[in-house]
Amino acid sequence: MFFRLVKGALFRQKGKMLMVAFTIALGASLATAMLNVMLDVGDKVNRELKTYGANINVIPKEASLLGELYDVDDDSGLTEHYLNESELGSLKTIFWAFNIVDFTPYLNARINVNSRSGGETGVNLVGAWFDKHMDLPTGESLDTGMRNMKNWWDVEGSWISDDDADSAMVGGILAERMGLGVGDTISVSIAGRLQDLNVRGIFNSGSDEDERVYVPLALAQSLIGKQGSVSSIEVSALTTPDNELSRRAAQNPNSLSVKEWETWYCTAYVSAICYQIDEVLTGSVAKPIRQVAESEGAILEKTQLLMLLITVLSLIGSALGISNLVTAGVMERSREIGLLKALGADNAPVSFLVLAEILITGVIGGVAGYFAGLGFAQIIGHSVFGSAIAIKPMVIPIVAILVFIVTVAGSLPSIRLMLSLRPAEVLHGR
Amino acid sequence: MFVALLAVAVGATILSGLVTIYYDIPRQMGQEFRSYGANFILTAANGAEGVSEDAFLSSTALIPSEKIVGIAPYRYETVKINEQPFMAAGVDLEGARKASPYWFVSGEWPDAAGSVLIGQEVADMIHLLPGSRFTMTGTGLDGESFSHDFNVSGIVQTGGAEEAFIFMSLNDFSGAIGERADYDVVECSISASEQELEAIGAVISENVADVTPRLVKRVTQSEGIVLTKLQALVFLVTAVVLALTMICVATTMMAVVTERRREIGLKKALGASDRGIVMEFLGEGLALGCLGGILGVFLGFGFAQLIGVNVFNRSISFQPLIVPFTLIASIVATGAACLIPVRSATDVDPAIVLRGE
Repeated sequence: MFFRLVKGALFRQKGKMLMVAFTIALGASLATAMLNVMLDVGDKVNRELKTYGANINVIPKEASLLGELYDVDDDSGLTEHYLNESELGSLKTIFWAFNIVDFTPYLNARINVNSRSGGETGVNLVGAWFDKHMDLPTGESLDTGMRNMKNWWDVEGSWISDDDADSAMVGGILAERMGLGVGDTISVSIAGRLQDLNVRGIFNSGSDEDERVYVPLALAQSLIGKQGSVSSIEVSALTTPDNELSRRAAQNPNSLSVKEWETWYCTAYVSAICYQIDEVLTGSVAKPIRQVAESEGAILEKTQLLMLLITVLSLIGSALGISNLVTAGVMERSREIGLLKALGADNAPVSFLVLAEILITGVIGGVAGYFAGLGFAQIIGHSVFGSAIAIKPMVIPIVAILVFIVTVAGSLPSIRLMLSLRPAEVLHGR
Repeated sequence: MFVALLAVAVGATILSGLVTIYYDIPRQMGQEFRSYGANFILTAANGAEGVSEDAFLSSTALIPSEKIVGIAPYRYETVKINEQPFMAAGVDLEGARKASPYWFVSGEWPDAAGSVLIGQEVADMIHLLPGSRFTMTGTGLDGESFSHDFNVSGIVQTGGAEEAFIFMSLNDFSGAIGERADYDVVECSISASEQELEAIGAVISENVADVTPRLVKRVTQSEGIVLTKLQALVFLVTAVVLALTMICVATTMMAVVTERRREIGLKKALGASDRGIVMEFLGEGLALGCLGGILGVFLGFGFAQLIGVNVFNRSISFQPLIVPFTLIASIVATGAACLIPVRSATDVDPAIVLRGE
């Protein structure tokens, strides 16, 4: 009898119930979409922030930054200590390997460029990876290099590739000073060796890189006779914003208790990633570039908080929308309920009847809404970030509980109101 | 009727709140992006020795003052500590602190004369801690050798070139090394987009001689990219939330009007014209939309303000255009939502409606 009544109510009032289900679906899809986007926004924005370039700089342990700063000891060799190029692949084997987005090794050298007027000018030459394809021992492959990491470079001409044996990219300020254009040839000399380089691109970066010459790493290595050596590595990694624990660890990892140390090591703090890089590259010191690392944290936190508040707002909005309509829907049934009561039905079964109907509608609407919401989330992901939003299973229980609470809360006041009505009055139509 | 009003008000609140946030995002987030430090630098023009005091003052006067986050003029000289060469930088420390908020200082920022900040590299090399004293020697600008004692107030960590510098106030710099009337470089952190910065740069190079303004490409361009994405994200989210809430408002209105089919039938039976009934309901809907819209404008601004204060610690600027926009949107949504059920109700034979089928 109960089921017949429920079935009857659902099918007789098809239009009405469809509308309630539709509203619930809308609310549920809104909640699903917003929750999914919110949970994934940190990761997505983090990837966008990679346009700021590397956030970790790896240098040999004994080298100091002093060489970079003064031109004082240029000729005595910038750094006599080098890192091993063959170990670079192991950057992708650390605990947080997945978070390492890009990296590029550099080899610095001081060279003389013979300008057309015959004079020699000393300039900094940098060997680097541009678009290196690597096959990792783990079986994965990776494309990395400056093209990805320096995407703010304004390049006239073209980027050079790693296989070019005689191509170079010249910084804008240097090119202007020496009167160089794309397609020109410069002849460089280092330690008595001569080499002609073809200027394939002139770039403008708005920093001191504009006064350097960039060549493929292999070429730089053979020029200065340091096969397999690199002087520094820039690493771009996805990191978690710093907190008190990570600051303490950055000062001295040994000051942590075993449990704290584990938490720190297994969280993608920039200091933890640096520590893990130190472990795999012999004789290296990895340092966070604070300008990038700190700012990333600040922006990430703000974005996540912003999305959280917008999500809460839309959840409240959809909850009110659903409960409004549910209330209206239940109130309309007063005549039918009056009739049931007049026929001798108790309060309890009548309430169950109404609740069962509304919950069945809620389940149908909620399921439909969940999938529609996944669609909305993907639309947002693809049009804003150009990649899919990760679907988090934890959204399902949240949305289910939300829909349940909202529909029940929306129908309870009206059920109470109806039960307090007298059948005769309701049936009379007042 | 209260249910419908509530629905409209909630819809309008979401609308005006989200649109306000959408418009304010570049301003609010732009401030956060300033933690990347200087995005605009002034250097000496070709041939000139440095940026003179006059050129510095007249250039910075051309930057809109409300957009300036921090301006730090630097002077560099080579000095010696224990006969090892280091680079000393004289800087407006207050300006540097604002322009480079990412500097991580263990210890304190210097506040008294004779206190300096030293980079981590320097500290490691000569084993200094905050609070320790050291003697700086070198050849001053007047050609005489000098020797001065300084107090280390803090150690700077940045992961970049700054770690090998010694930072001191401009007064200490002149006191120890000698008077100089110009700066080597002026770092500016300006809360503005790439285009605005280019415009400022153009004005400066036109009006001030001997200064070359340059944009720090890495910061300005990347900021542009990330901000555009963020704004696109909020825009899409706003659009989705908006579409769904408007449909929610419409369905609620439809439910409310459908409930009054009997009333419509009765009016028709008493001789009211279809047109009259439609107009009456439309009027009611519009009044409701208007009232809900007004409520929503206030609540929405309150909500946006809440987000501004909680997320960005800054108040949101009020956008007057949002008021008519919210009102029109809520009126149109409620009006349209009323029309559909009223039309279907007036099409029906009053007798059938009145009988309750």
